[in-house]
Amino acid sequence: MISRERITIGVLWIFAAMVFAMLYGPAALVMVFSFFDHRGSLIDPSTFSVKHYAGLFSDDAILSALSNTVEVAVVSVVVATILAVALAYYMRLDKRRGRGYVEFVIFLPFVLPAIITGISLLTVFGQLGVDRSLFTVAIGHIVIVVGIIYRMVMVRLEALENSQIEASSDLGASHFQTFRLVVAPQLISAMVTGALLAFTISFDETLVTFFLVGDEPTLPLRLWAMMRVGFPPEINALVTVVLIGTMLLAATGASLMRRSIAGKGAA
Amino acid sequence: MSAETSSPQMMGGPAGPVVLGSVERKRKPLVGRFVAGLVYGIPTVVILCPMLLFLVSSFWSIHDGNLNRHFTLENYARFFADVSYWGVYFETLRLAAYVGLFGLFSGYILAYLIWRQQGQLRYLLLLFSVIPLAMNYIVKVFAMRNILGYNGLLNDALIFAGILDKPSKMFVFNQTAVLISMCVIYLPFAILPIFLSLERIPLNLLAASADLGATAGQTFWRVVVPLSLPGSVVGALFVMVLALGDYLTPQMVGGSQGFTFGRAIWSQFGMAFNWPFGAALAVMLLLAIAVILLVARVLSKMGRSS
Repeated sequence: MISRERITIGVLWIFAAMVFAMLYGPAALVMVFSFFDHRGSLIDPSTFSVKHYAGLFSDDAILSALSNTVEVAVVSVVVATILAVALAYYMRLDKRRGRGYVEFVIFLPFVLPAIITGISLLTVFGQLGVDRSLFTVAIGHIVIVVGIIYRMVMVRLEALENSQIEASSDLGASHFQTFRLVVAPQLISAMVTGALLAFTISFDETLVTFFLVGDEPTLPLRLWAMMRVGFPPEINALVTVVLIGTMLLAATGASLMRRSIAGKGAA
Repeated sequence: MSAETSSPQMMGGPAGPVVLGSVERKRKPLVGRFVAGLVYGIPTVVILCPMLLFLVSSFWSIHDGNLNRHFTLENYARFFADVSYWGVYFETLRLAAYVGLFGLFSGYILAYLIWRQQGQLRYLLLLFSVIPLAMNYIVKVFAMRNILGYNGLLNDALIFAGILDKPSKMFVFNQTAVLISMCVIYLPFAILPIFLSLERIPLNLLAASADLGATAGQTFWRVVVPLSLPGSVVGALFVMVLALGDYLTPQMVGGSQGFTFGRAIWSQFGMAFNWPFGAALAVMLLLAIAVILLVARVLSKMGRSS
């Protein structure tokens, strides 16, 4: 019996290995290609070079797309974090009747596909006569990430003992003082994790951005445009840089999250 | 924020434990209302109102390039009258269902294997299954096209293995290509929810099952699967929703044959430039999504209560 179980598990592991190969293979292939000249999937080992990377840094369209992306991500993450923390703290102070409503609304863009959020915001901007630009993109990104940061912060807030807040207010602290001196220090790790996650999402966001972008593209949209006209050799290099950049961000977020969870367990 | 300094305690209010909410209520007047207005107002104005306006705009129309804001059902009439839209609609639902099923099947196997591990390996494997979530979406589409393309790795590998004599075009620019790409792109979204639903199974149930003489297989099929299936299906349904709304993957790898409902909607906001009709199509998509989410909600309640 035991041997039959072993065989089953072994077969499952082989399947799992195939799935992992499927998840990582495509990206790994692009990374390898970025160092060579290639025709189809054949690479010529003698052409190893970093010239495609060098090409990236002299391409103004790519550099300006990168700065647009960072600009949008920073603005939207800062605004969304402030909004999310304020909302979460307000809801946490008391059993608010409206909490269900607010959570329903801010989780909507997270649950519904991006195309719905994109069309909705586009319709509003169209009716208000607001031209599409990086500003409208930033609004879109705020809408998308605010629910995620809220969730992160709320989980931490709910783990917080009521007695801490009560003690603080018994000792004469105002709401704001309580927040600043008692709550905020314990919230920092959740806030940073949420903000990093939101930054990664904003950096990669494509499906909503497509509806809201004006004539200044973000990096994913620039990538898309490059792919439409053909496959310039720099694209593999650019894709590699984007991949490594976002994964580093996400890894930082993940390790912070792990530390904050570990910290919670120890406390 | 500055007005928050006037809490009753500072003015010699009642000592002892104070119910948090009561403080808030006493200084309700202006600032409290203003703050409440912001708290409920901002999400309403920025998220809910646009969505409502989008619903309303599906009842408008375009005549000679001008927007007509009078109520009309003509967009919906056009959808229901045209069989080709229906075809694409159900075809896309089926496609998304396959992507969801693939997510459920492969995601379950991966999540189950990870769940059985302990310590560092468990964390590492889990990390490796969520890292693809952080990979840029466009990059993944690009990579998939590289592999499936006429000069792609898949063709080269099949020729090398002697299965094909010359590159085949059957892997790119059709529905199969869209299906394969979406399966790869959206699978990582299924693994984590399935893993979490496995995590919710109390370990003493497994011990009890083994104590009562069940084999590993019996424990798996009679204890693990029934307890984790509702949560796992919920994960797969979310994958299905993601696949339903995707309009770029089909455009990139699907060519002219891999037409999906998402692309039909997108084209109304691009080349066809008929926003109200596009909105009406999106409402039809939303209806399907609402049904899926409702099923997911019922299932996740079942999963928690059992």
